Amino acid sequence: MEPKCHNFSRNVEQALANRNLQAAISRTTGRFLEHRNAAVRSFPGDFEAAREAASRLKLATLRDLDIHLSRFIEEAERRGATVHIARDAAEARDIATRIAKDEGIALAVKSKSMATEEIGLNEALEGAGIEVVESDLGEYIIQLAGEPPSHLIAPAVHKTREEVARLFSEKLGETYTEEIPELVAIARRRLREKFLSAGMGISGANFLVAETGSVAIVSNEANARMATTLPRVHMVVASIEKVIPLMSDLPPMLRLLTRSATGQPISSYVSVLTGVRRPGDAEGPSKLHILLVDNGRSAILRGKYREMLKCIRCGACLNICPVYQTIGGHAYGWVYPGPMGSVLSPLLLGLREASALPDASTLCGACADVCPVKIPLPDLLLELRADARAQGHRTPGEVLGMKGFAAIMGRAGILEALERIGGVVCRLLFKDGKIPWLPFILSGWTDRRDFPAPAVRPFRKLWKSKRGVLPWNR
Amino acid sequence: MCEHGEFASLILGGMAPSAPVTASLFFTCLADALYPNVALATATVLERFGVTVRVPLSQTCCGQPAYNSGHRKEARKMAAGFLRAFDGDGYIVTPSGSCAVMVKEMYPVLFRNEPRMLDLACSVGERVFELSQFLVDVLGVTDPLSAFKGKVTLHDSCHLVRGLGVREQPRRLLRAIPGVELVEMEDSDRCCGFGGVFSVKNPHISCAMVEKKIERILATGAQYVTSGDLGCLMNIGGAVSRSGYPVQPIHLAEILAGPPPDEET
Ligand code: SF4
Repeated sequence: MEPKCHNFSRNVEQALANRNLQAAISRTTGRFLEHRNAAVRSFPGDFEAAREAASRLKLATLRDLDIHLSRFIEEAERRGATVHIARDAAEARDIATRIAKDEGIALAVKSKSMATEEIGLNEALEGAGIEVVESDLGEYIIQLAGEPPSHLIAPAVHKTREEVARLFSEKLGETYTEEIPELVAIARRRLREKFLSAGMGISGANFLVAETGSVAIVSNEANARMATTLPRVHMVVASIEKVIPLMSDLPPMLRLLTRSATGQPISSYVSVLTGVRRPGDAEGPSKLHILLVDNGRSAILRGKYREMLKCIRCGACLNICPVYQTIGGHAYGWVYPGPMGSVLSPLLLGLREASALPDASTLCGACADVCPVKIPLPDLLLELRADARAQGHRTPGEVLGMKGFAAIMGRAGILEALERIGGVVCRLLFKDGKIPWLPFILSGWTDRRDFPAPAVRPFRKLWKSKRGVLPWNR
Repeated sequence: MCEHGEFASLILGGMAPSAPVTASLFFTCLADALYPNVALATATVLERFGVTVRVPLSQTCCGQPAYNSGHRKEARKMAAGFLRAFDGDGYIVTPSGSCAVMVKEMYPVLFRNEPRMLDLACSVGERVFELSQFLVDVLGVTDPLSAFKGKVTLHDSCHLVRGLGVREQPRRLLRAIPGVELVEMEDSDRCCGFGGVFSVKNPHISCAMVEKKIERILATGAQYVTSGDLGCLMNIGGAVSRSGYPVQPIHLAEILAGPPPDEET
């Protein structure tokens, strides 16, 4: 999808105008959070220690990512998979399209995957005349609506039941119903036909296990299992940081992932897929393609944002973020929303496109507190803001204002003089001590808030007149 | 980034000071210009407990607004000024959680490539305490001896609760005041939407957030909403003043100091 991060403030206006959206988002994020907190409370063992261990494991893996990746590739190929590597999104689209064409695919079913959203796979395949059907219920809904996901694990969180009902009757020609079981039944019936006739299943990966060349996928609908076992060909699209060294590393990561995401001790389905179907296997694809996507990760790995690659896409930081709760996922303008998206999108797309995102945070720190792999999201947002200034993505007004501010703050005497002038002027202008409008870049404050008038006698002045200027007071 | 020096180990060792205590008041630029009474109240409370209060008059702003919007050069300039003003010994006490976090956690980042400044930042940083933290953890105050009266709800400012881990200290102090009834709001540690520059760069989101916060404040039926951070109070107060909500923002220091003499009944 075309990124629209540069339109952030317009996106926000649209989001805030939509009351349904806010109600739907706060309901779902609230429920996820409640469940997550309950799961943390009843965690068998020390949750903090588990977070610390997961963070260390991820960091250590990232340090030697090349070694773990080569091992993964070797082991996967030994078990019959074909591994492809794409440097960027365009190459990933080309490779995936070529694979589909070479395999003679007319219809592909997909299970939920953020990596495919990132590279824009659906559009590419459809452009090549291949029908792609999303099989996760939420993804199915937004595919019908022609929208990107608005949450990492609940892609259609922004849609109300009425909207889904309308969508199903308009796009699928089904009789209108708002009953959820009936809507689910419609999707199931429609999807079943697709599953049975699809030549290829496409999935993402939650983890890639280097030791065995396995692909681990968690899901709460049977669709992932069907998409990866029924069709003749299975294509996995995964970004390179998904790799973990050992099979024994998987359980501790899963424990954190599902609890942080939905509060479940374990998801309804966990698939660990290793190689192609062997003689005597009851099910499984006879062809397995694994497409590893770099798309900027190698560069991130080398720099100060490396910790962002620890992310396991649990969505906890979205759920707890008061900004995400207020504006929802689409306002962020690309596939990754919330605090993790505000870091990752600028890293993948560049600050020219996405410099508004790191600013879209109060730095309240709630995200870092819940992140199961302890990514210091606020610190990374601050680094990105510094990069934005360094790369010239700040208005001249802001830069000038900040320079002036720093200059005034360089001298207490000047500051005091200005404070007193300001105090007197404001007292003349605003008799009740409230400033109802501020100029220029500060005007946003006073749209719906007053600003306090500065004191006529600032504290420094007060203290000096009460206590005099003592030796240590200079 | 900083290693704990002697000063911190003394505190972390839980040793309440027996010798007379001296503290430098880091009054913050916001209190200086907009809320001088809050800085005054902070000094009053400290002196009530025998602390000798020094006020380094060359202090201005810690640089947080510049740092938080990515202007590191300007932030470094202000931080250097702060370190000059507060170089020395003794505690540094401030009525603002976020300013304390700026000095303690962010200065080391600002000066990560300047070893000499980094040392200075670390040694100054470990002397910095937020007011309620200082009263409870350092002085061991159990009763703030305040005559304040009213039904109060506490907004946990983000930097206090998640930055400094200060959650219980203000509550303990408030509960110890005979005239104060402390009522808890739902999600008291959810951000009010201030976020410094965020509030002017993203005013619509900021306002939606503060309205949610005010909803929860009003649900408690409290007369006063208090906090250990002036930024939050300015934000909440600005919306309250514009819309005329029936609640009065007041800084924790003002409650601890008690009503000003002329208002006492
Ligand atoms: S940043 Fe952390 S909390 Fe957010 S999605 Fe990634 S792992 Fe989960």
